[in-house]
Amino acid sequence: MVIPPPLPDPPPSSRRPTSKNAFVWLLGALVSDAVMGGLYALVAWLTVGHSVGSPLVAPSLFLVPFFGGLLASLLWRRAQPSIWDTAGYVLGATFIALIGAALAYAEGVICLIIVSPLFYGVMLAGALVGRVWFRSDMGKLRVSFAPLAIVALAAVAEPHFRSEHEGSVTDMLVVRASPSRVWRHVTSFPPISAKPDFWMFRIGLPYPVETTSAGDFVGADRRCIFSGGAVFREVVSECVPSTRLTFDMVELPDDPELIGHLTPRRGQFELRDNGDGTTTLVGTTWYSLHVHPRWYFDGWTQHIFRAVHLRVMEDVKRRAEQP
Amino acid sequence: MFLWVVRHGRWLARVPLMPQLFDALLLGWTALFQRGRVHAMDALEAGALALPGVTLRIHRLGGIEFRRAGRELGHVHGHGLLDVRLPRAEASELLAAKRVRPHHVMSRSGWVSFLLESEADVPFAVELLRRAGKALEGEASS
Repeated sequence: MVIPPPLPDPPPSSRRPTSKNAFVWLLGALVSDAVMGGLYALVAWLTVGHSVGSPLVAPSLFLVPFFGGLLASLLWRRAQPSIWDTAGYVLGATFIALIGAALAYAEGVICLIIVSPLFYGVMLAGALVGRVWFRSDMGKLRVSFAPLAIVALAAVAEPHFRSEHEGSVTDMLVVRASPSRVWRHVTSFPPISAKPDFWMFRIGLPYPVETTSAGDFVGADRRCIFSGGAVFREVVSECVPSTRLTFDMVELPDDPELIGHLTPRRGQFELRDNGDGTTTLVGTTWYSLHVHPRWYFDGWTQHIFRAVHLRVMEDVKRRAEQP
Repeated sequence: MFLWVVRHGRWLARVPLMPQLFDALLLGWTALFQRGRVHAMDALEAGALALPGVTLRIHRLGGIEFRRAGRELGHVHGHGLLDVRLPRAEASELLAAKRVRPHHVMSRSGWVSFLLESEADVPFAVELLRRAGKALEGEASS
């Protein structure tokens, strides 16, 4: 077989942007973002009985942006966007949606940074699927509305069929000191002088600064103070000196970066005597995650709790190892 | 990354919308770092639609599928990898000439893969789809 000579150049891959196309993009972006915002509000209203804290907590951040992408591609079909155009259109629509979420739902910047890759990817998936679906003639287009309606209904119905996710994060650190010496720095500690090195703390996520405690007994009141003045009020539920301190979190701060998306339930420090003058310090936090899809947000949650643990535990290690 | 997911995460294809999400993420990444590939994909789409009877569809494993008379000619993934089904003899010849690479899953079938790097690769990619269409014609008539 002979390799054929190249064919003539195919039609140009992208059209020059026109003001009409810009208008079509803006209209599609604004309408799809507004409908997605409305879906969030509707789902939040329908799930009030589920004690959901923030509107953005309730609906799936997978189904709603996918629906938004489908809807946007339906509105963008007049502009006949190429694949490249669609990637750019969705980027712009995502940016508008995130600004809208910050204004309408008082979402924190860190939360929006966490959400943005997922939102963009899923909305792009919806827009690419819709771009192919909706390019057919009007007769087929009517049939194409069915999946659009199904995805919207699924987004509204999904929160009613999910169970709350309870998770935990555990971290360990070896301290070159005896358990009794480590214990003194676990129950409460003065302000941590070290500057935060975790990237999310640097850009504004509250980080632990200090913990106060009424004493080493069950029922003692603890306050874990975060940067920006956020205070987690805790009550000691288990206290075995030099071995284990467990506390329940009874009051959470009203911070847009923390509230609603997840609820830390309980924390624990466990001290394991290694028998060689060192102690393994084990820190665990139990939490409930309210944002979906779980496979995406649980990873972020664990990443953040790990940074919180390590900031506190490394400070305990530094103090306990001081001569 | 693509090959790792295809080999180890095939179960994900059974989760509704997950292949489309994965392909969109591939495309987003490609648009950021290899925009020439995305322009090539656009040019391929335009070139394929200029072939007689070719229509588009969303591929069940993510990406855009090129069809003719209700049958698949091939599909392109979000990072510019075109998979085409050719008669085995033609596939073997193109593989021997190193014009294409073995398909990432079905290496011993008529399926072959061709990675679009730039718009210069598009004429050959369109030719592969044309040949796939011709092969389907031959199957239908025999």
